[in-house]
Amino acid sequence: MTLSNLAIGLLLTLVAAFFLNAQKRAFFIFIFSLVAVYALQPALPIRYIDFWLPTIGLVLVIVLWIVITPHEIVKSRENIFTFGWILLVIVILGMTRYLDGLSFLTASIPPRIEQIMSALVVFGILILFAIFWAKNKSIALGGIILVISLLIAIKYQPITIWLAQTLRSFNNQAIETVTAFDIRWLGLSYIAFRLIHTLQDSIRRRGPTVFLQEYVTFIFFYPALVAGPIDRLERFVKDLRAPFSRSNIEWGFIIERLALGLFKKYILADSLALVAINPQNATQIQNAGWAWVLLYAYAFQILLDFSGYTDIALALGRLIGIKLPENFKQPYLKPNLTHFWNNWHMSLTQWFRAYVFNPFSRSLRGTSLPAWGMILLAQLLTMTLIGLWHGITPNFVIWGLWHGLGLFFHSRWQNVLRVRVSNWATTPMRQQVVNWSGILITFNFVALGWVWFVLPTPQKTLDFFSLLFRFG
Amino acid sequence: MTEEMIATLKKFIATEIARQPDRSIAADEKLISSGLIDSFSLVDLGLYVEDTFGVRIEDTELNADTFDTLEQLAALIQSRQ
Repeated sequence: MTLSNLAIGLLLTLVAAFFLNAQKRAFFIFIFSLVAVYALQPALPIRYIDFWLPTIGLVLVIVLWIVITPHEIVKSRENIFTFGWILLVIVILGMTRYLDGLSFLTASIPPRIEQIMSALVVFGILILFAIFWAKNKSIALGGIILVISLLIAIKYQPITIWLAQTLRSFNNQAIETVTAFDIRWLGLSYIAFRLIHTLQDSIRRRGPTVFLQEYVTFIFFYPALVAGPIDRLERFVKDLRAPFSRSNIEWGFIIERLALGLFKKYILADSLALVAINPQNATQIQNAGWAWVLLYAYAFQILLDFSGYTDIALALGRLIGIKLPENFKQPYLKPNLTHFWNNWHMSLTQWFRAYVFNPFSRSLRGTSLPAWGMILLAQLLTMTLIGLWHGITPNFVIWGLWHGLGLFFHSRWQNVLRVRVSNWATTPMRQQVVNWSGILITFNFVALGWVWFVLPTPQKTLDFFSLLFRFG
Repeated sequence: MTEEMIATLKKFIATEIARQPDRSIAADEKLISSGLIDSFSLVDLGLYVEDTFGVRIEDTELNADTFDTLEQLAALIQSRQ
């Protein structure tokens, strides 16, 4: 997100917080989130795709809301109005093709209005079909499979490139210059997790019934659109429905987190990015000392960049009455890997715990596997999937396995040594020694893991490890 | 009733999860956020609660936000019995 985007978002949020009552505030968040989906979408070389991707996302969200919502609620007056507002926003954004002054609202020039109208007719038929036909568990399960398929299509380069080639030839554009960056879908990773959470909860007959306006706002909530956190629908809607008054705004929290976030993201992280390891400089340096500098710089860059974003999102959310969940709590100061993962990208790890780790661990209980085998399998599966969420490449798989094995060994070590260590660490001094040794080991394990994360291939990663430890 | 339930849960956590049968656990001691109960043991605790008290704790509820102490867990179980 650029600073100018952020400034506009902050300014409009301030205006809304000062001048709008609770009902108008909810409506403002809804409309502004809709517009943000288009305005923040990166411009793409395939013609009009940066308009169609947000529109398809919006239609998908509407259809899936229909799937999880009781029929009588879907057809209520409020929701009919919301359908109308969404339609109006899409048409107005499409009209910016003809209005120079508003072109900043979309990534690039939108399609011609007749193309948009034709697509809306098709989408309308799809939505009507969903209203009358999509009403059972298997459709919700189909929705989960569809969302996962979209994630795979966007995160697995061969499929992304194939899709980009297909779209380019459909548009009569050159296919020689195709890259995986031709299709970048803003926020899909986060949107997908919110959708899967609500679909899965609906299959288990849990989760609240919400209006379309609330659901769209939850999925596309503008402060959390680009980089999370991943909230839960029931918690989010509670805030959205709560009375809102200017006198309740927590200015201390907002100013502190906004200042901290801006400082972390735009000053510290962006400066560290100049020295942090990347695919280019990793192959250029020859010195082990510098390799460690690059690696530590990256470890702090990724933390400060990501947690800075989260600080800004939390501040903006709080300004408009939404208490987004925390995502980072000093993860590099944790004495073991389990604690690290309880405090790093917390909303993601909680999501994986709820929807992957816990059900999978539960299902393993019925098998004849020994306890350690169950722990190993559950840790490896969960962490590998977290790796794949970042991108479907061998390096992300290895990064996931690195942490899965790390968590497994920590859990075994803890079982064997916990009592012995606590018997030894009887003085405050010894406790400090145990604590700081743990912090140092954990931080370095995580930092070394980032090499897999940041470099594109196993060979480049191994070369960098050789440099770090001067092998060969 | 609550004390009895807390005592039963405490015994299970100390013996089966912490593997320190003599360990004392206060009713308001943080169990999950402190790291005493890790993710995997939390699933064990969930299954134990289901078997012992006949109350289902969903996978999405096995976290420190839903309960983090013995007394919070006991209150959750009682609210569902």
